[in-house]
Amino acid sequence: MTIERYSFQERVIHWTAGLTYIYLLLTGLAFYSPTMWWIAGMLGGGPVIRYWHPVAGLAFVATVLWMYKAWRRDMRLSDLDRKWAKGIVDYVSHQDHKLPPVGKYNGGQKQFFWVMFYGALALLASGMILWWTEAIPWSLRWVRFAAVLLHVAAFLVTVAGFIVHVYMGTVVVKGGLTAMTSGKVTKEWAHHHHPLWK
Amino acid sequence: MTNGWNDIANADVILAMGGNPAENHPVGFRWVMEAKRNRNAKLISVDPRFHRTAAVSDVYVPLRVGSDIAFLGGLIHYSLSKKRYNEEYVRHYTNAPLLIREGYSFNEADGVFSGWNAETKSYDKSSWNYELDGQGYAKIDEKMEHPRSVFQLMKHHYSRYTPEMVSKICGCSVAEFEKAAELITSTYTPDRAGTIMYALGWTHHSFSVQLIHAAAMLQLLLGNIGIAGGGLNALRGHANIQGGTDCGVAYHNVAGYIAMPKSDQTSLKQFLTAVTPKPLRPNSMNFWSNTDRFFVSQLKAYYGKTATAANEFGYQWHPKIPQAGTGYENWSWGFLFDAMYAGKMEGFLNFGMNPVSNGPNSKKAIAALSQLKWMVVAENFDQETSSFFKPEILATIDKKPADVQTEVFLLPAANFAEKDGTFTNSSRWIQWKWKAVDPPGLAKPDHEIIARLFLRIRELYQKDGGKFPDPIVNLNWWYSNPVEPSLDEVCKEINGWDLTTGNQLEKFLDCKADGTTLSGNWLYIGMYTGAGNLTQRRVNTDPTGLGRYPNWSFNWPANRRIMYNRCSADSKGKPWDAKRPTIAWNGEKWTGDVPDYKPDSAPEQGMGPFIMLPEGVARFFVPGQFVEGPFSEHYEPAESAVVNPLHPKTSSNPLVRRFSTPHDKLGEAKDYPIVCTTYRLTEHFHYWTKNNPYNMEIQPEFFIEIPEELAKDKGIANAQMVRITSARGSIEGKAMVTKRIKPLDINGQRVYQIGFPIHWGFLGRGSQKGSLANLVTPTILDPNSFAPEYKGFLVRLEKV
Amino acid sequence: MAGSTLELKRISAVSTAPPGVRETTVVSKYIDTTSCIGCKACEVACQQWNDLPPEVTVQFGTYQTLPDMTPSFWNLIRFEETEVDGAQAWLMRKDQCMHCADPGCLAACPAPSAIVQYVNGIVDFNQEHCIGCGYCMTGCPFNVPKLNKTTSKVYKCTLCVDRVSVGLEPACIKACPTGCLQFGSKPQMLHLAEQRVARLKENGFANAMVYDPPGVGGTGVVTVVAHGDRLASYGLPRDPSIPLAVTLWKKPLKWLGNLGMIAGVVVAGLHYLKFGSKPEPEAKEPEK
Repeated sequence: MTIERYSFQERVIHWTAGLTYIYLLLTGLAFYSPTMWWIAGMLGGGPVIRYWHPVAGLAFVATVLWMYKAWRRDMRLSDLDRKWAKGIVDYVSHQDHKLPPVGKYNGGQKQFFWVMFYGALALLASGMILWWTEAIPWSLRWVRFAAVLLHVAAFLVTVAGFIVHVYMGTVVVKGGLTAMTSGKVTKEWAHHHHPLWK
Repeated sequence: MTNGWNDIANADVILAMGGNPAENHPVGFRWVMEAKRNRNAKLISVDPRFHRTAAVSDVYVPLRVGSDIAFLGGLIHYSLSKKRYNEEYVRHYTNAPLLIREGYSFNEADGVFSGWNAETKSYDKSSWNYELDGQGYAKIDEKMEHPRSVFQLMKHHYSRYTPEMVSKICGCSVAEFEKAAELITSTYTPDRAGTIMYALGWTHHSFSVQLIHAAAMLQLLLGNIGIAGGGLNALRGHANIQGGTDCGVAYHNVAGYIAMPKSDQTSLKQFLTAVTPKPLRPNSMNFWSNTDRFFVSQLKAYYGKTATAANEFGYQWHPKIPQAGTGYENWSWGFLFDAMYAGKMEGFLNFGMNPVSNGPNSKKAIAALSQLKWMVVAENFDQETSSFFKPEILATIDKKPADVQTEVFLLPAANFAEKDGTFTNSSRWIQWKWKAVDPPGLAKPDHEIIARLFLRIRELYQKDGGKFPDPIVNLNWWYSNPVEPSLDEVCKEINGWDLTTGNQLEKFLDCKADGTTLSGNWLYIGMYTGAGNLTQRRVNTDPTGLGRYPNWSFNWPANRRIMYNRCSADSKGKPWDAKRPTIAWNGEKWTGDVPDYKPDSAPEQGMGPFIMLPEGVARFFVPGQFVEGPFSEHYEPAESAVVNPLHPKTSSNPLVRRFSTPHDKLGEAKDYPIVCTTYRLTEHFHYWTKNNPYNMEIQPEFFIEIPEELAKDKGIANAQMVRITSARGSIEGKAMVTKRIKPLDINGQRVYQIGFPIHWGFLGRGSQKGSLANLVTPTILDPNSFAPEYKGFLVRLEKV
Repeated sequence: MAGSTLELKRISAVSTAPPGVRETTVVSKYIDTTSCIGCKACEVACQQWNDLPPEVTVQFGTYQTLPDMTPSFWNLIRFEETEVDGAQAWLMRKDQCMHCADPGCLAACPAPSAIVQYVNGIVDFNQEHCIGCGYCMTGCPFNVPKLNKTTSKVYKCTLCVDRVSVGLEPACIKACPTGCLQFGSKPQMLHLAEQRVARLKENGFANAMVYDPPGVGGTGVVTVVAHGDRLASYGLPRDPSIPLAVTLWKKPLKWLGNLGMIAGVVVAGLHYLKFGSKPEPEAKEPEK
């Protein structure tokens, strides 16, 4: 018996966010480090990725904003989540039974959501400045400098979240990936991972 | 220039006044910078504006437009009163010890010299002369103490030009003046050299010749004429304007600065007697005594074989200035256009000129052109003159194209880079230049256009005869290609040759008065000798290390790099400054630069060093040559915001003739309170580069420089549109509010000065908007040179 | 960038050492602002040599051609009217790429080979490799590089590398009429500048100085200024250096980030090896 965890719309948005983020990550890595510049070649060359990176960024931010609108209630952090977070070591070592029961999203998922949300906002703000560097007057050049740092910092924070998210969703929690592809989970899976989810 | 561009690098003190060489002669200005860098020379800039030259100067003194004679008079006074002059130099090389006739005087209250006739507004100049002895020589007082010696008269004349008076007239402070004066007059010692660089800021005044006279007096007092790093240096504006002047472009000279024959000089003999001076001192070389050789050789160049002793070498065919009243007709620019305006001219050939733009009083020029039956313009670009009939240009005189019947022919002419030939630069170097590219389309070099016109006209005269065909049909048109004479052949002819031997002339006195030699311009003899066309020489060796480059091109006169160079050595023939010798007597002859002297005349013989002057010495007191006085005197511009503090009765130059057309109105200070001047920019060349996108990029639009204080008074913001109005017309442009022009305190009165560059007009790239500077300038002419007073007139200023 | 025969000294975003064995003199321009007359010959010479089209300009109340350099205007004389000790002054300085020994643009550039520094010190942009990201505009402490929005490439003075590499002086130097611009080896130019400054000091300019800022390792443009206490009037930063943000980003942040990302992946792998996936919930019989 399966129940719907993610609607079709939610899945489309998620995968749009996922794919744009991956594109941004790959192109961003090319910009980030010369050792990764080979990615630029695979994706059409430097000028091409320079052109599409900010455009993809806008798409990514749009999906994040949609998710914010749709999921922000579900993602509100509660006392329960804080309690859950204290048992993170148990969670990591698969001692899930020691943890308090969670709802549709556990504390980790919620935190990941907010990391990605604020990260996206920071990337958007700094990215716009980097996109239109020449529009920032020389007298306000500290804005350019701040943007450079913010973009890199936000990138690193989101990429950390992203690694955890992908690892958890695909490898650690079986069924997580199918939940996001088919939208359905088994009742048992729901009960096991999200007992308070109604 | 008495010296040359390179020689400026030898100066210790450089006075840039009446010019903005950094702006208008940036390439030549390198030598100023070399002097500053290598010798720690001091550059003094005296100008109404703190301009590009002032920006790199050591001392800047602001002054009121047109007050230059007062400033120079102040320097003369400073030099004399502080004994900062080279006494030996003054005694031996100038007319300071010569005595002036009794009867000469200057009326300080009225501001006029003796001989003034208030009714005819002219001078009887007979008292402005030397007291002669029985042999016709000027009397002399070697001690220069005689009250009628030039020295004492000069001292007295300039005693009024105290630093306080200079400050009162010019608007600079006494301290500013004295700082500059101290530095400028420091060159009176033999081991220091000072030069003066001037340009149109001096020549564009109604007292321009006297202004340069004053500067020459100062340099003579300081012993700066003839020496390396000295001189009085006119910076010529166009690449070949010096060549034009040398070759008779002015109406009153033929080539080589010989006076144009007058209609009452009915025979060659009569003409030569009138123009050949007699020596005024026993020791005078009086080189102009050879005028007959020069002029006859020139007639031979004009009329070739048809010029014979029997027909006075064609003198009767030579143009002569007609008589008019007690004097002669004036064919200078301002008078020409006045005659054209009055409908006295039928046609007009206009080569390399844009009179609507570059003459004064553009509206009058436009009105004058519309009186013509026909006009031929040879130009690179369409310009305001060839298009004067266009509606927007005629609108300035409230006319429409239908009102004008003038037939205009615009002939495409090659520009300077599209033809060979020579340029004579300010240093008097006659330099050949080679064509860089062919002229586009049907464009032809000027000389070909003239040759073709000439050949057709001669054909018509030969076929149909005419009133006076001789000058045309007898013209010596010997060139191998008559349609496009080779400029190398023309150079050959200007230098001239011996008709008996066929050899090129080598030196001045090779030409003869008997018709056996031919020379287009005696002054250029030596430029094309048996050794070939020396204008093409490019040997850049400098044996003296003083930047003289004796084998670079050809330097008239006689390849002499520094004129009057006899003065560079003391009366014993020893250079004043051993480090900067120009010529020196070695016991047998003069060595160094080509001597401006008889090469083997020993110093003991005491020959006068100014061989072209009949007195053999330089003139502080100019006997009779200039119309408004033998000494320079400060007069105000014709339009002036202040009354002359020296002599209010005669405020401006009394010899200036005013024209009477409705376009020749002058304004008064109560209606037009602001003093205005015009100038040029380094980014542009005249009205020509407005057709070039790069020049237009770096200086796109007409603008008006306005002092901050005045802008504040009028509520004008930077780059805002403003209107300038004079009694002649008005123009609009963007305001450039600047700290670089300061209001001046003149005799207790606050005087604002503004200025704007020429260069724009109606045609060309970008937005021209009819911002033609000369729509507001007056046709006021210097009575000696007839140069217009572009610099110094009155306007009012308002926001648009 | 024109094809140059010079050896490369540094290459942007390439980690291998540039090839080359020859010793080459480091070149420098010399700009003496005290003998510059602002004639703008260098401005036009630069554009003509580099085939740059004229800009359409307007008079904006100054003698200065443009408010700032543009992608096709790499050499701008800046004019400043001011007063120094009560005396009028009109300061003019040729603004252009400073060819820093330690170039901020190059440090910031992410595109391999888009910015190079030749062994003679010339810093040059290679538009073929430029991706138009504009990081160089942030990295430059002198606000020099300018982005052409049509081509999405950044442009600036090349120090006429094509002329210099065949033994000619840069076009601006060639055009300078007063000799306020000179070109030669860096030590020569510094010597010239020091001599000039000594002369200026002797003439009463106590604050005269050679501008060769150490913060960027010195520049390939040695500038003499009369009023070293008023560098801002010349449009010169007092102590320019590569912006801290660029340095942080390109050094510690990159290092930390790389470490972090690798660590993240490694930790995930180790975690899997140790703990594996979470146990599956036991399947229950579907209810009927």
